[in-house]
Amino acid sequence: MEPPVNGRAASAWLRKEARAQRGRVALPIALGLLSTLCAAGLAWLIARLLATLLGFPGGGWADVGLALLLILVVALLGMAQEAAQTRAGEAARARIRAALFARLMALGPDDPRGVGEKASLLVDRVEALEGFFARWLPAMALALLSPLLIILIAWWADWVSALVLLVMGLLVPVGMAVTGIGAARESRRQLEVLGRLSGRFVDRLRGLATLVQFDQAEAEARALAGKAEEFRARTMRVLRVAFLSTTVLELLAAGTIAYLAWRHGAHLGANHPDPATALFCLLLVPAFFQPLRTFSQAYHEALAARGAAADLAPLLEGAPPAGLRLAEVPPRVAVAFTEVSLAYPGAPAPALDRLTFALAPGEALLLVGPSGAGKSSVLKLLMGFARPTSGRIALNGQDATLLAPAELRRLSAYVGQRAHLFAGTIRENILLARPEASEAELLRAAEAARVLAFARELPEGLETRVGEGGYGLSGGQAQRVALARAFLRDAPLVLLDEPTTALDPGTEAEVMEAIARLCAGRTAIIATHSPVLRGLSARVLALGEGRRAESPVA
Amino acid sequence: MSMWADLASVWRLWAARRRALWAGLAVAMLSALAGVALMTLAGKGVAAGVAGGGMLGVAALLWLRPFVLIRPALRWWERMASHDAAFRALADTRVWFFRRLAERMPGGIGFTGSGDLLGRLVSDVDALDRFYLGAVVPAAGALAAVLAIALLLGAEPALLLWVALPLAVALVLPLALAPATARAAQRAAEARGALRAAAVDPLAGMEDVLAANAEGRAAARLAEADRAMMAAQRRLVARGAWAGAAGQLLTQMALIGGLAWGLMAGEAGAALAVLALFLAIGAAEMLGLMPRAGAALAAAGAGARRLFEAADAPPPVAEPATPAAPPEDATLALERLSFAWSPTAPPVLRAVDLVIRPGERIAILGPSGAGKSSLAALLLRFAAPGEGRITLGGVDIAALEGAALRRRVVVLSQNARLFDDSIAANLRLAAPEAPEAALWRALAKAGVGEFVRSLPEGLETLCGEGGSRFSGGEARRIALARALLPPAPVLVLDEPTAGLDQAAARAFLATLGTAAEGRTLILLTHELTGVEPLDRAFRLAGGRLLPAAG
Repeated sequence: MEPPVNGRAASAWLRKEARAQRGRVALPIALGLLSTLCAAGLAWLIARLLATLLGFPGGGWADVGLALLLILVVALLGMAQEAAQTRAGEAARARIRAALFARLMALGPDDPRGVGEKASLLVDRVEALEGFFARWLPAMALALLSPLLIILIAWWADWVSALVLLVMGLLVPVGMAVTGIGAARESRRQLEVLGRLSGRFVDRLRGLATLVQFDQAEAEARALAGKAEEFRARTMRVLRVAFLSTTVLELLAAGTIAYLAWRHGAHLGANHPDPATALFCLLLVPAFFQPLRTFSQAYHEALAARGAAADLAPLLEGAPPAGLRLAEVPPRVAVAFTEVSLAYPGAPAPALDRLTFALAPGEALLLVGPSGAGKSSVLKLLMGFARPTSGRIALNGQDATLLAPAELRRLSAYVGQRAHLFAGTIRENILLARPEASEAELLRAAEAARVLAFARELPEGLETRVGEGGYGLSGGQAQRVALARAFLRDAPLVLLDEPTTALDPGTEAEVMEAIARLCAGRTAIIATHSPVLRGLSARVLALGEGRRAESPVA
Repeated sequence: MSMWADLASVWRLWAARRRALWAGLAVAMLSALAGVALMTLAGKGVAAGVAGGGMLGVAALLWLRPFVLIRPALRWWERMASHDAAFRALADTRVWFFRRLAERMPGGIGFTGSGDLLGRLVSDVDALDRFYLGAVVPAAGALAAVLAIALLLGAEPALLLWVALPLAVALVLPLALAPATARAAQRAAEARGALRAAAVDPLAGMEDVLAANAEGRAAARLAEADRAMMAAQRRLVARGAWAGAAGQLLTQMALIGGLAWGLMAGEAGAALAVLALFLAIGAAEMLGLMPRAGAALAAAGAGARRLFEAADAPPPVAEPATPAAPPEDATLALERLSFAWSPTAPPVLRAVDLVIRPGERIAILGPSGAGKSSLAALLLRFAAPGEGRITLGGVDIAALEGAALRRRVVVLSQNARLFDDSIAANLRLAAPEAPEAALWRALAKAGVGEFVRSLPEGLETLCGEGGSRFSGGEARRIALARALLPPAPVLVLDEPTAGLDQAAARAFLATLGTAAEGRTLILLTHELTGVEPLDRAFRLAGGRLLPAAG
């Protein structure tokens, strides 16, 4: 069965990330090989001691002491390897998570993925890669290198035993493949069924309220039990074969021990040339198979990572958009739209169709019209959240689309329909706009936006914690915090998107007043359908149902 | 220890499966004993071979051959039996949990708080799957092996002390460490929750982050939460590494202990020392699984705690002991109704009074967060009012049987879900006995009849998870058709046009009159388009209900 195309892209992406990670994976691999070496040394000491017990003197208490020392070293090496692996996994995740966050931010608020989905990409999907970098990569390398090392050591001791180990080692993949021809396909189907059962459970839990509304929760519980029983019967049929491949590995390990035991045991009579060496070969067998066992245990990590990579790779492939940087923020901005169109992919009609208007520095413009007429789109273009499909947007005569979106935003103070309060104090939420602002500037902005008016009533004033887990501000209060941000930002261009839509009439009038002060002396574009805002001294541009720009109404 | 109590509760949850579960353990122990037998014979064979190839040695080596086959065969059987039992238990856990939540959190998980809860609970249920397979089965096998070894070496107390004791400690140690590991796992899970919160905050406020050119600062905050989570995970991993290293150290000490005893005992003890050595090697394989078993136990313990917390949440409104007779009249009255989501949150409804006569069509306007969805939740008793009450036909809805109330009041909520099943099955959730003609009538009333007819598989078309097979508008209309199917006298539509484009929303709202057909209609929305067939309109601002202007 061919993997789907995005599966292949995911594997390619994982390989690329693994290469970038090579330096960090080398340490756990080296420590793992060192452990193997110590295990072999331990086997040699035990063999000597065992031979002594069997009447071939050579070993003694010095060997016991050395063995105790070695097992301590092996234990420490194991912990060091685990720590090194963990670090490698951490580094990989931190790097990928940071890149993904930057990418999501670059895609902007218009990206169709919901917040929950993006958070799950950022948290869960990246976490699912942990095992791949921390365990699978070193296990894969060690599954090859450690057995080879053991074979080399065994060769030095007794080449026939080394040959037996080599043949057995080669048989492992063969045996896995023979039983695996069926098992791989079957286990893929099993994962599918398990996924479907778990999917149904999650699907029904998500819609629990719907089921309760229609009194179907009990019926669904019974259906869930029925599905699970069906799933069990099918999975057990699958596992019957899948477990055979594990059994093959065990059979080979047991067979190797039995053969070597028989070979050496039968010849271990008094005339055996070197009993310690014979026993040594026997004791090497568990150390030989251990990395292979770790490898097969880590296999599901690779599967999980591949699933996550399929979701992540398309986002992280491709270069982020570049653009020019802004030398400095000009004190005043003139805005000119010439025949600007904006069409969203998949939408039946363009959001903006050849819109033309010009604003002199310091002028204010009200965008009015029914929702869906393209008011927000004008603001999105100026914020760099979207790029025009055609036409030209000029700021002080320069093409705005040449600027990198983040640079474009340095020109503007923006307030959206619903201000988001971040977890933190009110002060921190205002300072977001300009963290280096002085205390006096902060207080001026908070006063101008009438934030101080309500903050005084709060137990901790501007230090009151708001946002997730904090004090719940009303919509009007949140909106005033957003306006305070705009005041503090002190940018030449003010962009407001329905700034009073969430407010009751009393608050609306108050916020209105703050908006008028904010716009004074700045170029401003305000999308609104509130009659209150029409009181501003501003030009009005009506965007119509036909999504076609009409000539400005003075 | 509370972890053990929680796990005992999980075991009780699986009472019906006890036979299968014990059978799985019995096979696991048998398989472990076969492993011990294999190593015993190998040890005797080698010892006898060295001693001069006596009959005993030859016999042992001959016996070795069948055991080479028997041990993997038993392992295979063990896996089959234990997986079969685990799958039965797994289904029981899910069904039990689902039933409890339907009773305790009828509004759904995450309805009252973080949306992360669902994902966490689902992974907690998965962690319980590992409790039996990952912890109980390997522990049983290792226990059988250690007991058999103690029995075989019992003749020599010094060997018991030097070999069996370290093995026994290696068996018990990971289990004894499990509660502390569970706490570390809990802290790691909390750190992951904090990371999610740190991710959600800038994503939800992305416009504001970008507008403030604060991407870099947001990324730094996220990286900080990321580092905190990884530090918590590192402590958890370090515990696992400690347990693993200690287990390995102990099993190898047993091995060397056997040899040292042999050195002291001299020729006479050689055979027994060789046997002890082989047994220690054999036990190492089974005890090697114990650190993982301890980790699985810890994960299951932490998961069980959270599951029981969610499942033991008090229901928002207790079912009345003797429910009142459902009223004939459908007059709906809100009487001084107040509500807040939590004691610290500002109230979303403050002493709201409203009487809605049967058949009346009203709209309640307000921006999101104004309390519209809270009102819908209160009407279905998914939440309890802080003060005041809601009556239906003069009867307090708290006195009605929940199912009876929900047969009379149907809410099409913003997150009404289409399940990953056929359109017909989704519709029949609302009316299991409805004939196909009734389904078509409801679809037609919701304005989606033509669309469903145009699908090649018609009513049997699968909706995909959450209705993903359809566009937002089509999915909303199918959900509306479902809400229209039962003959409920009160129909509440919460933002029914969210996600629809302008034209589709208008068409949808214009058809509401025919769709509602003489029922009471309550439309909760953030704005009116003017085409809604309404009798009255209100505005919800600052928790108070005001007549809507214009």
